[in-house]
Amino acid sequence: MSAATTTAAAPVDATRAPRQRPGALAPLRWEVRKLRAQWRGKAVLVGALVLPVIVVVVLHGQSRPPKDTLFGRFATVNGFALALLVLGFAAQWVLPLLTAVVAGDIFASEDQHGTWKTVLTRSTSRGRLFWAKTLTAAGFAVVVLVVLAASTIASSVLIVGHQPLIGLSGQTIPATEALRLVALAWATMLPPMLGFTCLAILLSVWSRNPAVGIAAPVVIGMVMQLVGALGGVEALRPFLLTTPFEAWHGLLAAPHFTGPLTDGLLTSAVWCLMCLGAAYVLLRRRDITGG
Amino acid sequence: MSDLLAVEAIGVSKTFGSVRAVNDITVRVAAGEVYGVLGPNGAGKTTFLRMLFGLIQPDSGTIRVLGKTWAADGVGVLDGVGGFIESPKFYPYLTGRQNLEGLALLDGGHRPGLLEELLDLVEMSDRADEKVGGYSYGMRQRLGVAASLLREPRLLVLDEPANGLDPAGIRDMRALVKRLANSGLTVLLSSHDMDEVEEICDNVTIMSRGTVAFHGSIAKLRTMAPDPGHLLATTDDNRVLVLAGHHPGLRVVRDPDAALVVTGAKPDVSAYVAALVRADIDLLAFNQTQTPLEALFFMLTDDTTHQTLARPAELTKAFR
Repeated sequence: MSAATTTAAAPVDATRAPRQRPGALAPLRWEVRKLRAQWRGKAVLVGALVLPVIVVVVLHGQSRPPKDTLFGRFATVNGFALALLVLGFAAQWVLPLLTAVVAGDIFASEDQHGTWKTVLTRSTSRGRLFWAKTLTAAGFAVVVLVVLAASTIASSVLIVGHQPLIGLSGQTIPATEALRLVALAWATMLPPMLGFTCLAILLSVWSRNPAVGIAAPVVIGMVMQLVGALGGVEALRPFLLTTPFEAWHGLLAAPHFTGPLTDGLLTSAVWCLMCLGAAYVLLRRRDITGG
Repeated sequence: MSDLLAVEAIGVSKTFGSVRAVNDITVRVAAGEVYGVLGPNGAGKTTFLRMLFGLIQPDSGTIRVLGKTWAADGVGVLDGVGGFIESPKFYPYLTGRQNLEGLALLDGGHRPGLLEELLDLVEMSDRADEKVGGYSYGMRQRLGVAASLLREPRLLVLDEPANGLDPAGIRDMRALVKRLANSGLTVLLSSHDMDEVEEICDNVTIMSRGTVAFHGSIAKLRTMAPDPGHLLATTDDNRVLVLAGHHPGLRVVRDPDAALVVTGAKPDVSAYVAALVRADIDLLAFNQTQTPLEALFFMLTDDTTHQTLARPAELTKAFR
């Protein structure tokens, strides 16, 4: 600052009336604006758009289809089967990772940058910031799932073809119905994916470390899959957040069965509520001493 | 000044684990006042300011800001309050302007043209569209002032605003704070620099180890200030100490750095130095160690690394 500017009057009216309070959507707009400015979220979306095309092209070029996986037998000759094969793979660890990239970072990055004190000394409460960040992370999970699903289904159908699909009970499913069921199967990923979003949020708030917030949900998801695959733990399976990722199988059977979808929805909802409740309490009670 | 206190903190305490960071302090800042909170690092200044902003919950006591409390008014306490704690932090992947726009969003907006005015004020207009990640420390500090003023506060809280700045930056930051104070704002300034507070503030609370060591006006503080100390280096320190015996008004002690420290009234020190010269003792160095207020500050805060004077316990006790 030069001497010239330091003689200027400060633009402050000490007697003015109190300012208008921010609207409920203001923190949400701020979080979305920050997310759009970061390369990480954009890179995930570009990856979700481009990588399925590459995977589809590579699998389509294989002379021997992966017969030991669900819908693998027809994956090189049927676009719907290939889209379901990719779905099965994505549910193992890709979907938790994609959502955790944003959800696991969205709270912890404030600690990383030391900006909690910057935002919490404005006119927006911790509660509003919490919900704004949560909605932003959940919104991102929805967008990335839609992009991944659309890219996978479109590239599979366009590159491999849209012949009628052989279902899990051996029934033939016409192409139009197959397209609807495949899209529905992808849509059933949303509840557990939101469950992982909330888990990543909790870990982000608790650990204050973006690396933990991003990596830990993926590791926890893998451990859950391992536990779910073990014998003798059938009673535990319905409570695992990875179980709802398999609920779509009933859609491709004849007759359809939707019990696992309902159970999966309930399981995901409980995980969401528990994780968000714990994260909210942690953030509300926390002393902001760093930064 | 109105009757409303800008800040009224009564009996506030905060403990972290086994450390009592703030211990039953009471601070009252009148509206329109420029108030200093002074203390060495670890005295509890920043913890107090964090409690004022609601970043930390006090264990006990009440904090009222512009008449509001966190318990009754929630984040509404911060209506009319702007400032920053320690070094201001921003999102490095956003530009300076984007950071300010986003913070204004969390404030409920800002009046048209204010953002540009503030960028001009802190001389950041030409760098406002660069990402904050590339800013220097001083630039972030200035952006922090702009972010605080964006709220058009009635109470401005600045925590060591000149900390980490180069000498020119310190001069400019002090000038800016003085100018803001002259505009009618209530300013609560935290610092560990006596000069800064003396130059800017009307009243001061000196904190030491979480407690209030002094509370009152700068003028009152000046009347309590002891004689200044002088660092003396000579060719024959032993004779210098012997000669000191002939000057009862003086106190001469060895400094840990192998020099001598002479304390006393100015005429007595002058007479003593003249006597040394007459005794053919060469003076290698003769410098004032601290201003009187600095010396008093170190006495009140028990800062033994700077203290070169005996502690007049009764003096300190009287103002606790």
